[in-house]
Amino acid sequence: MLKRLAALPRDARDTLFLLVVIGIVVLPQIGNLPWWCTGLTAAVLLWRGTLAVQARPLPGRWWRAALLAVTLIATFATHRTLLGRDAGVTLVIVLLALKTLELRARRDAFVVFFLSFFAMLTNFFYSQSLMTAITMLVALLGLLTALVNAHMPVGRPPLTQAAKTAGWMALAGAPIMLALFLLFPRLAPLWGTPGDAMAGRSGLSNTMRVGTIAQLALDDTIAARIKFDGAVPAQRDMYFRGPVLAQFDGREWTALLPWARGALQPNLRVQGAPVRYEVTLEASNRPWVLTLDAASSAPRVPAGIEVTGTSDLQWFANRTLNDLVRYRAESYTQFSSGPLQRTASLQAYQALPNGSNPRTVALAAQMRSDPALAGADTPALVRAVLERLRTGGYTYTLDPGIYGNDTADEFWFDRKEGFCEHIASSFVILMRALGVPARIVTGYQGGELNVIDNYWVLRNSDAHAWAEVWQEGSGWQRVDPTGAVAPGRVGRLQRLVPEPGIFAGAIGAMAPTFAIDMRAAWEAINNGWNQWVLNYTQSSQLNLLKNIGFDAPSLEDLAYALIYLLIGASLIGAAWTLWDRRSHDPWLRLLRQARNRLQRAGLELPDAAPPRQMALQTRERFGPAGQATHDWLLKLEAQRYARASPEADTTLRGLRAEFRRLAWPR
Amino acid sequence: MNPVAALRGRIDRWFLSRRPPSDTLELTQRNVYIVPTRAGWMLGATLLVLLIASINYQLNLGYLLTFLLAGSVAVGMHVSHATLRGLSMHLIAPEAQYARAGAVFRVVLHNARRSVRYGIGMAVRGSGQWAWTDVPAESSATVEIAFQPETRGLHPVPPLTAETRFPLGTFRVWTVWRPAAQMLVYPAPELHPPPLPPGEPLSGQAASAALMRSQGAGEYDGVRAYRRGDPLKLVVWKKAAKAQAAGSEDLVSRDAQQAQREELWLDAEATGLPDLEARLSRLCAWVSMADRLGVDYGLRVAGRTLKPSQGEAHRRACLEVLATC
Repeated sequence: MLKRLAALPRDARDTLFLLVVIGIVVLPQIGNLPWWCTGLTAAVLLWRGTLAVQARPLPGRWWRAALLAVTLIATFATHRTLLGRDAGVTLVIVLLALKTLELRARRDAFVVFFLSFFAMLTNFFYSQSLMTAITMLVALLGLLTALVNAHMPVGRPPLTQAAKTAGWMALAGAPIMLALFLLFPRLAPLWGTPGDAMAGRSGLSNTMRVGTIAQLALDDTIAARIKFDGAVPAQRDMYFRGPVLAQFDGREWTALLPWARGALQPNLRVQGAPVRYEVTLEASNRPWVLTLDAASSAPRVPAGIEVTGTSDLQWFANRTLNDLVRYRAESYTQFSSGPLQRTASLQAYQALPNGSNPRTVALAAQMRSDPALAGADTPALVRAVLERLRTGGYTYTLDPGIYGNDTADEFWFDRKEGFCEHIASSFVILMRALGVPARIVTGYQGGELNVIDNYWVLRNSDAHAWAEVWQEGSGWQRVDPTGAVAPGRVGRLQRLVPEPGIFAGAIGAMAPTFAIDMRAAWEAINNGWNQWVLNYTQSSQLNLLKNIGFDAPSLEDLAYALIYLLIGASLIGAAWTLWDRRSHDPWLRLLRQARNRLQRAGLELPDAAPPRQMALQTRERFGPAGQATHDWLLKLEAQRYARASPEADTTLRGLRAEFRRLAWPR
Repeated sequence: MNPVAALRGRIDRWFLSRRPPSDTLELTQRNVYIVPTRAGWMLGATLLVLLIASINYQLNLGYLLTFLLAGSVAVGMHVSHATLRGLSMHLIAPEAQYARAGAVFRVVLHNARRSVRYGIGMAVRGSGQWAWTDVPAESSATVEIAFQPETRGLHPVPPLTAETRFPLGTFRVWTVWRPAAQMLVYPAPELHPPPLPPGEPLSGQAASAALMRSQGAGEYDGVRAYRRGDPLKLVVWKKAAKAQAAGSEDLVSRDAQQAQREELWLDAEATGLPDLEARLSRLCAWVSMADRLGVDYGLRVAGRTLKPSQGEAHRRACLEVLATC
């Protein structure tokens, strides 16, 4: 096989190489492309490769036109548009493949290269992970290699030669890349990012149908990373607030519409010292700005994003967060919020749909009629319900089976098992039936410390749902009913982990901590990538300038820094050029300078005149006035050709100094 | 001619006149030029689009890609320039050529650098007929540059140009070189010339000289003393061996025209053509024809006369007269 490849004519070999590189460019996209696009691209690339190997003619114009028409129709059928981002990506990929079918002239080759660069960029819409970066670096080197190879017209140069040149260029270009990356001013998006960006990501949702967080619980991907400035709060206090769900239609919990949340200020009352931290939030395609409960002031987000707070203590960005965002925030783990006196706006937090969960409503009525609870305040009711959860034989499981219509009834009376969202939902329904304003808060709880880089990692499997109840005199208070069922779930003493696969199991059996260590190391590398590359924002740029020595850096200063760097680089280039010229034979240069001087004085000298001839001609022409020059020229000759003799002891440097002092004839 | 073209021509002539003619050219910063190619502009536009996309979608990895590509292209520009810079070119004195016939110049490229210089094209300036070569490290390569001389005469070698687009094709790096050497261009031979003209009777003096010559040789008919330019196949080697044994260095040739009483004159007047160039073309064709037949021929053109003779030296002398008259 390899032998056959080596025996291919150069044309076929170059084409195959380019096809492979295009394959690498397209490969990471497969998951994001419609199936027909992947199929068509693969088929076209294979077809082109076969034609190249068999040295058959390329398909005619009609073939290409037909394939193009099919592509346009299929793209429109899939995306309902030809514009948009996803449709654009699909088109670029197919066009790239189709263009290889007319890969003949150099011009066509260039079009393929440029389309490939676009295709590489489109990868980053979907993933900017370290793996993607490495794959694209390989693809970029491949494209440069193909480009270099295309400009070695003689013979059949080995591809390794072109690869070496390409690698060298990329390596030498890396400092330029670094300087531009660090100093090129980061601007806000020029126009709104299309809405289809980041579609289909999992994560928290602004609705909760009981049972759906289960998928999240098994999703090990990272949702956010937290770096605390000083003291780290206790793990059981780490509640990261996401959507607050207060409206229940019998099946599904949704957030209240903004005007129904009450036009109240959050009325946040905090105690203790604030916790300061930095959050690196993975792309969520949602506008939520995750904060530790409860953030008293708006998180400091990168330029281009604005955040607003709501009365239920959530923070919203003015756009969906389609890429990694890093922000700083300040929170107090001891807090309460909301009105202290019962107001009309609290009605919304007591509503239950008519006829749903009748047995739970009956349970509430029965509890109300219990003399021990007659006239009880909210804390007493909460204690009673939590007591029921603790002692009523309820268990925590990630696999509770499928619930029917009246989830709270099933939970309280039939199944008696479930995980946080069943428990929180049932708890809130019961509290509302008891007449206590209550709501569900979703978010993340706990997290895990990566000991390698000291970042706390929140995974989607840390997604959690808890409850808040309103109490006269102190406002909204957090209650986590899951803790009553499974004390270990809150505080991460015990965590439900999906069964490991066979491979992971085998590794785990041999070295129990190996897999964990490896994962920690890999995630630390990834986190470093996120922190240093993906999160390099305007504020990081300005910080960098501050570190360099600018007092109050601005975008203008960035431009200055870039210009200074440019000037510096040019000066280095000029110096190098001078040095390059110096590296030519200095003796010959001195001789040439002497010849120029004499020629200017009117002496006719051939370009190849040796110093002795020049000396003789000088004396002949100028007489005694030329004597000094004559002697100097002879010394120059001796320096080169008779170094062993004593009078030739002059150095080139000495001769050069003499050259400057010499009285040249005119 | 429109004024733009005229201006361009003037600038071009001024540009050329600034280069001192020389058969050897060292390429330095001063005589190597660089501009982006069309593909280079396209790549620039691509970079701009990549940058805009990176800004709009806030893709830091997009910035990295854009800047790495830009950095590589910047380095590529330097590599491109360095491919020609430091190269030295030497023209090998060109042979005489026929007008309107494919001919070549040979140029030796010398590379003192410790790495190969790839993809160097050379051509006569403006001809577009590129000859591509690589120059190995610390070594030289010879390029044959195709060209087609248009008019006869003694011309300076046309300006040559060397160009490279290595490594990325984004920049065109070139130089212009005016060699000092001159090149003799013979007239283009007529394609289908009429047969050679009839011989002219020998004048009395010439006839007796021919007789004397044959007698002076003291040999049989059909053999005469060797004359410079006689084809070697006409030399009678047996006799030469005998003569050498006898201590003589003289050679003898078979004399095809021994019995001939007339001689062949190629005369411009005899062509019957009105136009000088057409006459020269025909004479040129006749010279070749006579040379192939191995007969003595003389040339009379534009007041110049070359006595009948034959051989390579005579042929060249005749062609030179035709080229320069």
